[in-house]
Amino acid sequence: MLKSARDSLHLLAIVAPGALFIVVFLVLPSLYLMGMAFTSTGPSGLPALPFSLQAFRELAGFGFLGWSPGNLYTLLRSVWQTFLATALVILLAYPAAYYIASRPTRWRPLLLLAVVVPSWTNQVIRSVGWMNLFAPGTPISDFAVLIGLTEPRMGLFPSQFAVIVGLVYNFLPFMVLPLYAAFERLDHAQVEAARDLFASPLAVFRHAVFPQTLPGLMAGTVLVAIPAFGMYVVTELLGGGKATMIGNLVARQFADATNWPLGAAGAILMILATVGGLWVLRRLGRRLGGDREVVL
Amino acid sequence: MSVTLERSLRAFWIVLMVFLYAPLAVVVFFSFNAINSSARFAGFSLRWYERLFSNEAILSALANTAVLATTSTLLGVAIGLLLGYGLYRYRHRRLAWLIWLIYLPVIMPDIVFGLSEMTFFVTLDQRFGVLSPGLGTMVIAHVTFQVPFVALLVHARLLSLDPQLFEACHDLYASPWQRARFFILPVLTPAIVASLLLALTLSIDDFVISFFTAGPDSTTLPIYIWSAIKKGVTPEVNAIATLMIVGVFLVALSSLLLQRRPDPSDPS
Repeated sequence: MLKSARDSLHLLAIVAPGALFIVVFLVLPSLYLMGMAFTSTGPSGLPALPFSLQAFRELAGFGFLGWSPGNLYTLLRSVWQTFLATALVILLAYPAAYYIASRPTRWRPLLLLAVVVPSWTNQVIRSVGWMNLFAPGTPISDFAVLIGLTEPRMGLFPSQFAVIVGLVYNFLPFMVLPLYAAFERLDHAQVEAARDLFASPLAVFRHAVFPQTLPGLMAGTVLVAIPAFGMYVVTELLGGGKATMIGNLVARQFADATNWPLGAAGAILMILATVGGLWVLRRLGRRLGGDREVVL
Repeated sequence: MSVTLERSLRAFWIVLMVFLYAPLAVVVFFSFNAINSSARFAGFSLRWYERLFSNEAILSALANTAVLATTSTLLGVAIGLLLGYGLYRYRHRRLAWLIWLIYLPVIMPDIVFGLSEMTFFVTLDQRFGVLSPGLGTMVIAHVTFQVPFVALLVHARLLSLDPQLFEACHDLYASPWQRARFFILPVLTPAIVASLLLALTLSIDDFVISFFTAGPDSTTLPIYIWSAIKKGVTPEVNAIATLMIVGVFLVALSSLLLQRRPDPSDPS
């Protein structure tokens, strides 16, 4: 046999199991789901022929009673809550990553592990933790009542506040890790040079530190914002009906309010939004970093 | 570093640790509460644990969780290892399609991932009577999201090696089998250990995909907790969650011990 042909067979043999798994159990199912968006809704909420664009019309808010902005609000809320959570995560992760990187080398693995370990527990369990802390009558809830944040005898959840806390808690490690990697490689000569030129601390950060940590920041933003946008568990457990995001809207169409085509249309919207978000972040990274290569 | 900056950083770190561990500590603490409340501690009691270990449904959920995590991790690492090696070995070929394929499960929103597989498995089950939702479909789903992460990790490790080492194997007339046995597997050991840990934590952390691919008899601990909360019956929830938290801390401890072993060639 020709060498190149044998190589191709070898390549196929070692790559096939993994590639097939992804094709058969992810690509095909998601194409199947997306196809459902173009069918009509049958009497039991399952997809039925003929093909139609009815699901997209419903998703845009057109129903029997005319246009309602509910779904649009859900989409806007998803974007807003994702933005807010990501911004807070960045604010917390910068000092955390810097702190770890400025410790002696032998301590760093332990400190990194301390940040990461909570994210190894299950999402549901982490939310149960916050439900415990925010339940009516706990010290935190009592304090919130005292300063007028909530009504007496009410807990801090379900609320949008609890959802944001839950999102930040879930995704903080994904920002700390890449930022730490960036801080570890930081060229301190640039920082010293800025100091020697009497730059203010803010100017040192802005011109000497920030550009160097930008690749880490962009990687972290992708790791945080993309899954945060698709969040289901935190919004469902900590938000009640008050902070519903697009993922909850989609999931509901496959559970209580059965309407598979509408859910499928929502899934297409989520995939498009995710791809669009990645594209925007990539552009933003290039613009901020100038000609510097930003790894995404 | 100035003293004020150092002090405020230290204070910030302590606050951050409280933020990260308070929710978990509260769960553990109130799992020993004599009453079902997280507002008032009415005395130490093991009653929730007694109820937990006499509840058949919870015990079978515990077994399902363990079977799902171990089976999917072993399969996911084996398949991901091959994929990562293939990606490296044939890196000079045009493999862009493969890289796209690998990134797909990574960027796909969990909920879309889970719902796609649910509708797919349900349809297959109804039309052809195969792959009915249960532990089997859950293992398949978990392997699907573990494989890309393992492949990327193994690939990164191989890229950090000196390519001349492969030529050295060739020069020493190593057979493909000898090369795998005496060169590739040993240098990949740290990456394989890291992959096992990563795949295991991915599986333990997942709720959404498990939830949508589960069948009536394949409830796992997180799914059990979820439905207990949804039904409003929450007595043993903190005790079950404590079991999982303890499990995760044992994994973390073992990973720390593994990391402490000196390995100068480990890039991670």
